Amino acid sequence: MYSVYGTTTRFALTSLTLTAALSLPAMADDSQRIDQLEQRLDSMQKQMTESSLEKVRLNGFFSTGYTRANNDAGYDDATEKSDLETLSLFGLQSTFALGRNTEAVLQLVSRGNEDWDTELEWGYLRHQFSNGFETRAGKMRLPLFMESETLEIGYGQPWARPPEAVYDPVPVRSYLGADAAYTFNLSGSSIQARAFAGHLDDEADSLGRTVNVELRNITGLTANWTNYLWTFRGVYARAEATIGGTPPLGDDEKSEFMGLGLSYDDGSWLLMSELTRVEVDGFYQDTDSAYITLGYRIKEVTPYATASWVESQDNHEREATPLEVLDVRRQAYSLGFRWDMTPSVAMKMDWTHARGFGKTTGGLIGNQLDALSGNPGGRFDSTDVYTVRLDAAF
Amino acid sequence: MKTRRTSLTVVLAALCLFVGGARAELVIIGHHGGPDTITPQQVKDIYLNRSSRLPDGQRVVAFQLPAGNSMRDEFNELITERNDAWLKSFWSRQVLTGKGHPPREVSSANSMKSVVSSTLGSIGYLDSTLVDDSVKVLLTPEP
Repeated sequence: MYSVYGTTTRFALTSLTLTAALSLPAMADDSQRIDQLEQRLDSMQKQMTESSLEKVRLNGFFSTGYTRANNDAGYDDATEKSDLETLSLFGLQSTFALGRNTEAVLQLVSRGNEDWDTELEWGYLRHQFSNGFETRAGKMRLPLFMESETLEIGYGQPWARPPEAVYDPVPVRSYLGADAAYTFNLSGSSIQARAFAGHLDDEADSLGRTVNVELRNITGLTANWTNYLWTFRGVYARAEATIGGTPPLGDDEKSEFMGLGLSYDDGSWLLMSELTRVEVDGFYQDTDSAYITLGYRIKEVTPYATASWVESQDNHEREATPLEVLDVRRQAYSLGFRWDMTPSVAMKMDWTHARGFGKTTGGLIGNQLDALSGNPGGRFDSTDVYTVRLDAAF
Repeated sequence: MKTRRTSLTVVLAALCLFVGGARAELVIIGHHGGPDTITPQQVKDIYLNRSSRLPDGQRVVAFQLPAGNSMRDEFNELITERNDAWLKSFWSRQVLTGKGHPPREVSSANSMKSVVSSTLGSIGYLDSTLVDDSVKVLLTPEP
C-alpha cells in the first residue's frame, strides 16, 4: 500500500520537476537553493544536538487513573468511592554526562497519594567500563522484581497496574548503596549478573498507619538471560529488617527474598510471569506469590489477561493475636487492554476480580481495618475493581 | 509547440514512473568509512539496542526517518518486525532505565543522506531512488 502511494507521489513530483525544468529554469534554481538551505539547517541542527543535548538529557513520565470498586474491601486502596489520586504521579528524570562513560542520573517523583510531595527516587553515579563492567553508587531502585526499574513508569508496562500479589508484599522502593554488573554477550543472547549492597530507611503503610521500615545490610544478586525473545531472571536478596507498628512487626529480623521471572515478547505475543517468596522472621508475614500475564498486540491495542495468587506461610506466628489480620490468601483475575492512542500516550482499561480469601482478610486494607475494629462479620469475601488509566512518557 | 512540449513531459514522466516504480525499494546505507555489507539481523540488533557496534567493530551511530514516513514503515516491517507503538514503549523503557537511546531522528530523506554521509560509523536507511555517491549501500533487504 505504501509503495503505491510512494510511487504516485514520486510521479507527481517528477512531472512537476520536469515541467519546471522545461518551462521555468528559475524555479529549478529556487528548489535547488531550498535543498541547500535545508541541508545547511540539518547540519547546524546536528551540531547543536551533539554539543548541547548530549550533556544533559531530560525525560519524564506521567500517569493518572480512575479507580472504583464494587465494595470497600480495599484492593490497592480501591473503594466504592471514585479515586483519582492512587494512580496519579509525575516523574522527571535527568541524565548528566560527566565524561564519555560516566553519568549522573536523577529521578524526581511526585505522587498523588502522597500529596504530590516531590521525592528523590533515584540519584546515582554510573560508570561503564569498556570490558562489559558497569558500576553504580547512590540511591537506586531495589532490583527485586522483573519490573522494579520501570515500576512507576506505566507507559512502559502492559498492565493498568502491576499484579499486586507479587508487587505488594515488599512495601519499599529505593535503597542507598552500590552495585556492580557484568554483561556477557553471547551470539544471539546475553547474560547479565548484578550484585548489590546497601541500606534502606523508608516509610510504608501498614494497617492504616505510616510505619518506619529499615533494611540493614542488604546484599543481593540478580541474573538475567535473554535471547531478546525469551528472558529468564533469578534474584536472591537478604537483609535485617526493622518494621514499626503497634506492636512492632519486627526488630532486626532476618529477611530473605527469592524470585524467578520469565518473559516472552515477539512483537505480537506477550507473556510475563514471576514467582516470589518473602521470608521475614517475627510477625511480618512470609508470603509466596505468583502471577502470569498473557497479551496479544493487534496494531495499537493489546488485550491482556492476568491470573495471580498470594498466600502467607507463617499464620501460626500471629495466631490468636490482633495481627492475625495480616494473614493473607488471595487470587486475582484481571482482564484489560492497553491502547496506544498516540505516540507517547497509552490508555488502559482493566477489570480485576479478587477472591479466595479463605479465613483471612485477603490482605486487603478495608477488611483488615474492619476486623481490627471488632467487626469481623463485615468482611468482604471478594471484590471487583475497575480502572481506567492514562500513561505518558516524554 | 506548446502541446508537443506537454506530451513530451507526459512521456518522460511516464518513463520516470516506470523506471522509478521498478527501483523503489528500501536500502540500508552507511558512511564510506564503514563496512561494505551488513546482514538484516545485524541491522535489527543495532536498531533494537542489542548491539552498539558495526560488523567492523566501529561504534555505531544509527539514524531513522520520522514516524509516518513510508520508508520507516517499510524498515519496521522488513528489519525490526515491530510496530511504532511497540518501539516507542520499548525505547521509553530503555531510556528511563539508562540502557540506551533510540536512533536519532532526522527530518527528511535529504537530511538522512547528509547526516549519514558526514557521520563516521553511521547507519541509516533510504528509498533506493534517492541514493547517490555520498553514501554507501550496505544492504537491500528482501521482502
